[in-house]
Formats: sequence, structure tokens, C-alpha cells
Amino acid sequence: MGFARACSVALVGVEGVVVEVQADLEPGVAAFTLVGLPDKSLVESRDRVRAAVVNSGAEWPQKKLTVGLSPASVPKGGSGFDLAVACAVLGAAERIDPAAIADVVMIGELGLDGRVRPVRGVLPAVLAAAEAGYRHVVVPEQTAGEAALVPGVSVLGVRSLRQLIAVLGDEPVPEEPAAGRGRPDTMLAGLMVPGAGLGTGLAPLSADGAAHRPDLADVAGQDRARKALEVAAAGGHHLLLSGPPGAGKTMLAERLTAILPPLSRQESLEVTAVHSVAGILPPGEPLISRAPYCAPHHSATMQSLVGGGNGLPRPGAVSLAHRGVLFLDEAPEFSGRALDALRQPLESGHVVVARAAGVVRLPARFLMVLAANPCPCGRHTLAGAGCECPPSAVRRYQARLSGPLLDRVDLRVEVEPVGRADLMGSGGRGESSAEVATRVREARERAAVRLVGTPWTTNSEVPGHELRTRLVTAPGALMAAERDMERGVLTARGLDRVLRVAWTVADLRAADRPDASDIAVALELRTGILRGVPAQAGAR
Amino acid sequence: MNAPPDHSEQERLARAALTRVFEPGDERGGRWIREIGPVELMRRLSGTDGPARALKGMTAARLAGYRLRASSADPGRDLADLAGIGGRFVCPGDREWPSQLDDLGDARPIGLWVRGRPDLRLWALRSVALVGARACTPYGAHMAATLAAGLAERGWVVVSGAAFGVDGAAHRGALAAGGATMAVLACGVDVAYPRGHSELIGRIVEQGMVMGELPPSDHPTRSRFILRNRVIAALTRGTVVVEAEYRSGSLVTARNAQRLGRFTMGVPGPATSGLSAGVHELLRGEGVLVTDAAEIAELVGEIGELAPARSGPVLPRDSLDAASARVLDALPWTGGMDGRDVARSAGVSTDEALGRLYELHSLGFVEREGDGWRLTRGRTRDGVARRGGT
Repeated sequence: MGFARACSVALVGVEGVVVEVQADLEPGVAAFTLVGLPDKSLVESRDRVRAAVVNSGAEWPQKKLTVGLSPASVPKGGSGFDLAVACAVLGAAERIDPAAIADVVMIGELGLDGRVRPVRGVLPAVLAAAEAGYRHVVVPEQTAGEAALVPGVSVLGVRSLRQLIAVLGDEPVPEEPAAGRGRPDTMLAGLMVPGAGLGTGLAPLSADGAAHRPDLADVAGQDRARKALEVAAAGGHHLLLSGPPGAGKTMLAERLTAILPPLSRQESLEVTAVHSVAGILPPGEPLISRAPYCAPHHSATMQSLVGGGNGLPRPGAVSLAHRGVLFLDEAPEFSGRALDALRQPLESGHVVVARAAGVVRLPARFLMVLAANPCPCGRHTLAGAGCECPPSAVRRYQARLSGPLLDRVDLRVEVEPVGRADLMGSGGRGESSAEVATRVREARERAAVRLVGTPWTTNSEVPGHELRTRLVTAPGALMAAERDMERGVLTARGLDRVLRVAWTVADLRAADRPDASDIAVALELRTGILRGVPAQAGAR
Repeated sequence: MNAPPDHSEQERLARAALTRVFEPGDERGGRWIREIGPVELMRRLSGTDGPARALKGMTAARLAGYRLRASSADPGRDLADLAGIGGRFVCPGDREWPSQLDDLGDARPIGLWVRGRPDLRLWALRSVALVGARACTPYGAHMAATLAAGLAERGWVVVSGAAFGVDGAAHRGALAAGGATMAVLACGVDVAYPRGHSELIGRIVEQGMVMGELPPSDHPTRSRFILRNRVIAALTRGTVVVEAEYRSGSLVTARNAQRLGRFTMGVPGPATSGLSAGVHELLRGEGVLVTDAAEIAELVGEIGELAPARSGPVLPRDSLDAASARVLDALPWTGGMDGRDVARSAGVSTDEALGRLYELHSLGFVEREGDGWRLTRGRTRDGVARRGGT
């Protein structure tokens, strides 16, 4: 007769719930029962744990064994409980001291040979454990770096169950061959989320990856689009780039992350937690400190964008782009459902996904960049390009981006193909990302200082009534916008958007408040209609 | 023309029926109406006896087609249907008939089906057409709305075709300014086409008027759009094309307007934009470039209805004569300068230079500094700062 308990963590979205794993041995016919809302993969844990224990040189208790996971009402899944189950069983069998494992949180999958395999979501799990007051965690060795990001927790990374038994029993720790580093980790590969834009920035960077980061200097010409990119980065405004194929829309969007400021510690943890749950955290780089970039293909389903899957939802592209850039190339080609599903995260900064097994709230505060061709063939606005799309087809194509979605886009820029003069002149190089990033950082600081004491940090988050009452523009600056409003070409909400952008433009110019020229730039960027603003106005 | 001023109900019925028989702009039909009158023509077309064959240009095949349509025409019901939704049928010779449509000759409409309260003739007298691409850019929509609002504020009626794109923006702009707008449809006036504009068309009926040549419940076809454009061109004082490709129905309207001696105007766009290419072609020919409502009003309006003169600001400096300006230019940006040095730098005699300097002093451009002269401080900001001609 024996009883022991260990702890582990169940993931609900990107939040963890500490789960107590209790093992109870009774005399009787040898059996192994697992209770407490386990899903299929967790039930299989019984067989894995038994094999792993036996292959680690310990004896499997031949008694009636019951393992309970509590709280029993939280749905649990995945293989991360293996380690805790194994230790609880061994504790009940008195192979190890039950007191030594009672308050230790264990996360890890067991191979049949007793090896400990990495699982998704170690960071949020350890964060939850730390919050719940646990001080000791055991994780697979590969994810120890990730777990160590959490302050106030002592982390033990183990390679095998045998090692863990030795550590807990104060015995000499046996050496284990490290898992082949060069070999692709089949486990991680199997967990990757389809449509997450792997290979376009989310995939692990190679060691020299930093040297090949796309730089704004590669973009020749495109003054207006560059300006829009800068404003988007500085104020957190969503951006629509439209233009014919080959004009450089994708090239511009890829360079947006490079001019975004590096993530703060808190933001880094949030982003790393999401990526950890999605299982795409590059090994050897536990903390993500750069704004992520996620470019799902236009065949992406709504589930892959907002998060979904069987049982408990997994983070989708919007969450993988949290605190970074979500780039939707060929935006009109996305399904209407998928696009409209973006409206909630755009508005609230998180997405709530309901599934049979529960409701999950995932963070999704991203900077959206849409790219669109003007018509199905892409040549509609070009002079002399011979677009043959009938007007109705052009309208239909453009109408695929719904009004409510476009309404949330503050910046709309036509990207025109680069001419020979721009491409060949001045060496075909523009201002570098570093220079622009400096301006962006300074502008963000100005905004943050102005918004201190409010719940907002960037201009795009400030609600309209605050803009109009608390933050005052230069006298007479709004005349052009007010005239547009009188004529019905600008809505009240449109005016708020223009004001937000104007503040960002003023911040970039290091001005105290927007004047008429800033409003003109904002009107240009918001409506796409030229107002005769000199090319460099507001840029520096 | 020479129709009796007081229409008999019979002729009105005949014309209403003929709108169902002839396609818009059928010149042959127009000629027959002119020659034998609508009542007689309708009688011949609906009967099965011979006299219809005697009409000039009538063939058996054509007659069969006309008869097929004539047999199904029920003008009494059409008129009643339209009256039920507050519409009416306006014929040539009516007091409300806009006589400028007579410029179309035999292709003038047989009659116009109209919805809306205002007087068609009065409105048409002071109207401008705003047309352009259906798949327009945001710039096109913005310009159309702004021009329409400006024209409406000046008391002009904005006429367009209720299509998507520029047409719709023009109507909306006029409505937003609380002004008058008129839609000429290529279908029956009780049909909302395009369907997406049914609400807009409803508002135009409320606040302005909707009209068309086609009898109630008729549907638009490709050719009817083109033929509708001739009515827009003839009805209005001038036609403004906002955005149009080379191959565009809006250019058809503009060419019609040109042929009828109306003004044709174009709103320029970026030279790189394919959607403005047709407009630019128009502007290279007969069209007049316009950028705002005042310029349009100046062109199509009464004598004296002038747009304000457009020029850069006149600076005090611009009114100086050449010699004084040279002396002023000779003074350094900062600091003072001796009178002799000023004279040398300006290339004039010392006496002349001193004379000019005193003159400039009294005008406030320069001031004394010890023995020399220097630019007045405050002035350098605004006046003289434009030295480089920027």
C-alpha cells in the first residue's frame, strides 16, 4: 500500500494550470487506471510510462495502481505528464522518496527506453507553476533554457528517467548520450502549425541568420511606401499595400520587423510562450527578443489563422504574430471567413476560441500588413499594361476586403513598380533599417511619454474621444480634414484614424503636436489621395 | 419641335408604347415618329395590315421584330404602374420636356420616364454630368465626391448614371452636400441597377430625380449603357470625366457631348495611372482641364460666374521695380554693408544705390546699421526668404 504525488502542468491555450498527479497502490490484481479527464494521447501515457520505468532499471509495482490527475475537471492532453506520472508511481512504490517529489513540477514525455523527450509549451507551463508558488521544476534538457527564463524557479533539465531517479535519490547521476543535435527533431517537426508562415521568418534562424536579415536599404525608391512603413512601425498602425505584382509589396512587408523596436522583457516572454505552445521555438534560442513575422499563405483556413484544432485550440497565425507583424499577401485571395475572423483580434488584441474541450484566450496583438493586387490580373492601375479585367470583376476583387476590416487599416498606400531611374540611381539603395529604426524608437518614446498614465502605449491604441479631447492639435491644422468631412468624403471614424496617424507623423518629426502638414500626410496615408505634401515633409 | 403643345392622351399612350418597341436611340424610329406621328406609327405597327411596309427603310424582318414587341406593349398599365410609385412620363412638347434633348435629332428619346418631384426642364438647364470609371481608384471616388459636393453647393445639378465607382461617388457627394442630383438609368426607372446601389437610387428619388428612356421593368444591356450616355451628354451643359481608361463608356459620353457642342472637361490624374489615361487623351484634344467645382462652374455657368483667380501669394517684394530689387538682393543675408559696397555688388552708381536704399528703408525692407545698411530682421522670415525662387 502506498501513495505519492507529483505535479505537472496542463495547458489551456497559452496559460497553464498546475495539475497534481496522484498515484495510489492497493493490493489486488495488477492494473493501471488513469483518471481525471485525460485525452487519447494522455491515456497512452500508461504504456509509455510502464515501458520507460522498466527500461530505466526500476521495478514496476505489481499491484492495483490508480493515477489521478486533479483538478479533475480541467481537460488534459498531450504527453507532458509522463514524467510526473512515472515519478508518482515510483514514489508510491517507494522506489524514490515521496517527500522529494511532492512539490516538484515535472514536465516531459517519456520514450519507451526511458529517455525524456521535449514537449510544447514548457515556458507557459513553468510560468504557471511559478505563479502557483512552486519553486522546483524538472523539464526535458532541450527545453531547460526556455524554463530558465522564468525568474525564481530552479530548473533541472534531464535527459532520461534514470537520471531523474538518481538525482532524486541522491545517487551518482549516470551519463546519458545526448540526443543528436544535428538530427532533425521529429517531435518538434510534427507539432508545427500549418499556415504559420514557416520559412518566412518564423522558422529557426541559422547561426549566421542575423547577417542576412532583410534590410530596408535593399528597397530602391518607393518613398511613399517607405514612409508608410515607418509610420506603421512607429504608431502601430495597420497597413494596406496595393499595387501590381512585382512592385515590391512583399519585399517591403518583410522589412517591417527590422524597424520595429526590440521586444521588452515582458513582451519577449509573451511571444516566447506562444511560440513554445506552438512548438516552433528554435532550440538554442530560448527567448525571442525580435518582433516575430508571420506570413500565412492565402489558402489558410480560419482555424489556422485564429487558432484551432481538435480538443483544446492551438495558437494560430494571429497569435504567432503577437507583438510582431502579420503579413497577408494577396489578401483578397483569403477566404472571407478567414479575413473577417481577424476583426476580433484587431480590435481587442486577443482572440477567444471556443472548442468542445473549452474556451481559450490567446494573445494576438499584431501589426497587420495586407498586400493586394488591384484586380485579378494585377495590371489594372498601370498605364498601358493592357488589363482586360471587366470593371465588375475589378470591383468584386477589391470588395473582397470587407469594409469593417479595411476600416481598421489606418494606412493605405499604392505601391508603384520601381522605375529604372530609382533602381539604378543612387546605387539602388535607400536608407537602412537601422536609421529608420532609430527614428521609430524615438517616436515611440515620445508617444509613450505623452501617454504615460494611460493604458495605451502607441498612438494606434488611443480611442477617438481621447484624441479629440485630451490631445490637441495645432490651431487650424484640421481644416483640410474638416472640409472633407463636410463634403462627406471622410467619416467621423475616418477623422479619428487620420488624427491617430497624424500624431505618429508628428512624433516621427519630433514635433510637440501635429500641424497642418502632418494632417496632410496622414490624410494622404489614410485615404491614398495625394495632397501635394512635399516628399520629405515630416520624414526628418 | 412641331408637336402640339397640349398632348392628347392618345399621343402620350402611343409614345409610352413606342418606348417599349424601339431601342433607345433608334434613328429610324425617330424619323417615322417625326414623319407620321406616334399615334399613326403605333397603329401601323400593331396592326397586321400593309401600311407599315410602306414606311421608308422598313423590311419584313424588321417589321416582324417591331410587331412582336408592339403586341406585348401595354402603355396604359406601364403608366399606371409608374404613377403608382410616384413617377410620370414626360414627352417632347410637354412643358417639362428638356428641349436640349432635341439636339439629338431623330435619336432623341421618344419620351422620358421620370421619378422624383423636381421639374425636369428646370433642373436640366443648370446641370453638369460627372462620369467616370466603374472600377475607379480612391482618388477617382474622392474627386468625384468633392466636385459633386462643390457643384451642388453652387446650385448645380449633378447628373450621372448611378453606376458603381465614379458615378456613385458623384451622386453621394451631391447628396451629402444637400444638393440636387439626377440619375439617368439604362433600365426601367423602377429597376434598381446595379443592385448594390438600390439604396442610393432610392435616396436620389427622394432628394433628386431618376429618369430613363426605357419603360418600367426593362433591364439594362451593354448597348443600352452606351446609348444612355448620349442622353447624359445632351441633357447637361457640360460633361466632366473623372477617371477613364482608353476604352471607356465615359469617353463615349464625352465625345457625344463634344459632338453636341457641350463642354467636355477632364480631371487629371497621375501620368502613371492607366485609369486616367483616357482622361489625359481627352485633355490633349478638346477637353478642358478642371481641378475643382469653381472651374467647372466658370466654364458651364453664366457670364461672370468666374472661378477665383489662381496664383501664388503676391509678396511685397514682387512689386519692387527691377533696380530696387537688385539693390535689395545685394545686401548680405546677415550683418550690415556699406552703401558703396552695396552699389558695387548691385552694379549701380553709388547715388542710385543710396536713393534705392532710402526708398527700401521707407518701405521697411532695410534699416540703418551704423554707417551701413542691413536687411530688416523680421522681414527675412517671410518676404525675402523667397529669394531663391522656391
